[in-house]
Amino acid sequence: MKISHTVKISVIGLKAHGSRSALTILGIVIGITAIMLIMSIGSGAENLIVSQIGGMGVETIAIRPGQEPTGPSDFADTLFADSLKERDVEALKKKSNVPGIVAVAPAVVVPGSISWQGEVFRPMIMGWSAEFLGEMFDVYPAKGVFFDDIDIRQKAAVAVIGYDVDKELFGEVNAIGENIKIKNKNFRVVAVLPQKGQSAFMNIDEVVLIPPTTAQSYLLGIDHYHEIIVKAESAEVVPRTKQDIEITLRQLHNIDDPEKDDFFVVTQQGMVDQVSTIIQILALFLSSVAAVSLIVGGVGVMNIMLVSVTERTREIGLRKALGATNQDILTQFLLESILLTVIGGVIGIVLGSLLAFITSLVLSSVLDLDWAFTFPISAAILGMSVAAFAGLVFGIYPARQASKKSPIEALRYE
Amino acid sequence: MALLEVQNLTKIYKNDEGVETPALQGVSFEIKKGEFVAIMGASGSGKSTLLHILGFLDHQTDGEYRFDGRTIDEYSETDLAHMRNEKLGFIFQAFNLLPRTSVLDNVKLPLLYSDIPEAEWNEKVVNAIESVELSHRMEHEPSQLSGGEKQRVAIARALVNNPQIIFADEPTGNLDSKSGKAILEILQKLNKQGHTVVLITHETFIGEYTKRVIRLYDGKIINS
Repeated sequence: MKISHTVKISVIGLKAHGSRSALTILGIVIGITAIMLIMSIGSGAENLIVSQIGGMGVETIAIRPGQEPTGPSDFADTLFADSLKERDVEALKKKSNVPGIVAVAPAVVVPGSISWQGEVFRPMIMGWSAEFLGEMFDVYPAKGVFFDDIDIRQKAAVAVIGYDVDKELFGEVNAIGENIKIKNKNFRVVAVLPQKGQSAFMNIDEVVLIPPTTAQSYLLGIDHYHEIIVKAESAEVVPRTKQDIEITLRQLHNIDDPEKDDFFVVTQQGMVDQVSTIIQILALFLSSVAAVSLIVGGVGVMNIMLVSVTERTREIGLRKALGATNQDILTQFLLESILLTVIGGVIGIVLGSLLAFITSLVLSSVLDLDWAFTFPISAAILGMSVAAFAGLVFGIYPARQASKKSPIEALRYE
Repeated sequence: MALLEVQNLTKIYKNDEGVETPALQGVSFEIKKGEFVAIMGASGSGKSTLLHILGFLDHQTDGEYRFDGRTIDEYSETDLAHMRNEKLGFIFQAFNLLPRTSVLDNVKLPLLYSDIPEAEWNEKVVNAIESVELSHRMEHEPSQLSGGEKQRVAIARALVNNPQIIFADEPTGNLDSKSGKAILEILQKLNKQGHTVVLITHETFIGEYTKRVIRLYDGKIINS
């Protein structure tokens, strides 16, 4: 017998029990829908975060003091480590040491708040090159001009403030030229940034930038930096540049054993990889939880198929009398079961994609995220295969029961 | 030449406790091509058992059954399924139509298990339905048909592969006398057209429609 005939027979069989077939596949539909939704949202989140990290430029490399943190408590250590100093900055700027670098910008984090005429605001205060930040995040002053290298060298008491800082402190007043107080010292506002929103690691709207040298000597009384950000020529030279930086700094710090480094180098690619891995693992974990519901759905299919086989005993007897072989009956019931779960899988994929699409619309419009809907093809293929497999596995037992029925007994069955 | 021939056919049923119940005890007869035979007997006389064996649905305990000159012991289960499909037509007391399935699809059922090319199916199905005068009911489902019409659908289904022999198991048992008569007349007509028909029944008047009667009593033939 041709397989196309068996398919025909199975389709006729399923149609004859329409509403029951629909209920049978509900478990499969729910399982596949959940997997599709999780995978789609997972890859949407991954794309969003990766694009935000990538938005800082894959050429950006960060050098931080202390040992590379392996746990949350280690992060505190890097704040107190004082291994990165001006001499490191100077060394990195030399082309002979690190040929791949085009710009070096050391940074200092200043804790505390700022005030203007009694108004107080708690921004993120950083001693960092405003020009470097501008280029990295593609922001340029809405009003005023950035402080430049000369200001940095002269340790000028000037500040660039973010959009929210401007709104909170000054309201309608033009902030340019006004003096704000940081740790009771006056800083003249030279530029206000446009509204930018949350970026990967900082809210640029809540930032206050001052020259790093001023932050060191004038505010904190330290001579080290909390971080040195450098920009490589291109993404291709990043790995090579990372190595050059490590060699240069090790020489400068007299370190022979890389295990004993008092600094570590972070590339954007490394961060992208890490975040992607974490999200993928999370989505996979959640999907495997959803996969459990597929097993439950599969058992449901088996249950209904067994009922169906008993209920259709006479039909089986009749088919055998009309010339169906045991193999024909086995194939028919197996195919019915697979068709059921595959149809369930298709509905689940459509439903899951639809829900994921609606979710992406809600996230991008309500939460104002740059969220793009993705159709996870791999999840769809996986879902279909799992559904078909469930139909096969959970259909074999009922189908065997059906094929083993004796035609005489089956015809006599009331 | 005989189409089918049984020699000393014996069938003994054995239940789980090993108790033996003889259903057929040495039955011998032959049926020729073109015959219209009634196998008659009371309930428990072994006529259903005989029909199951003749229809390749069951095996005898002893004796020989030759169909078309060959003993059926030579065939495997799969071969027998193919032979049921190609050479036999069955009509049952309870009609045994597939519910929620159109008359057309019901009659088509044997073709799905056959080697007949799909291009010929429609013609065969339509012809079979026409020969039982149900052309106006083709798209209907069994629940919309009367008992007599259901049995005519079953006859069309038995005819669709142009079988060598048609077995009818109490075909009028579930019908009123008028519908039953109509069914018997159709079987008569089919026989006149050249089909071999074997009918089993416990109703004696049916014998009047057939050319020959085999009477069974307690698993033995009492006249043939």
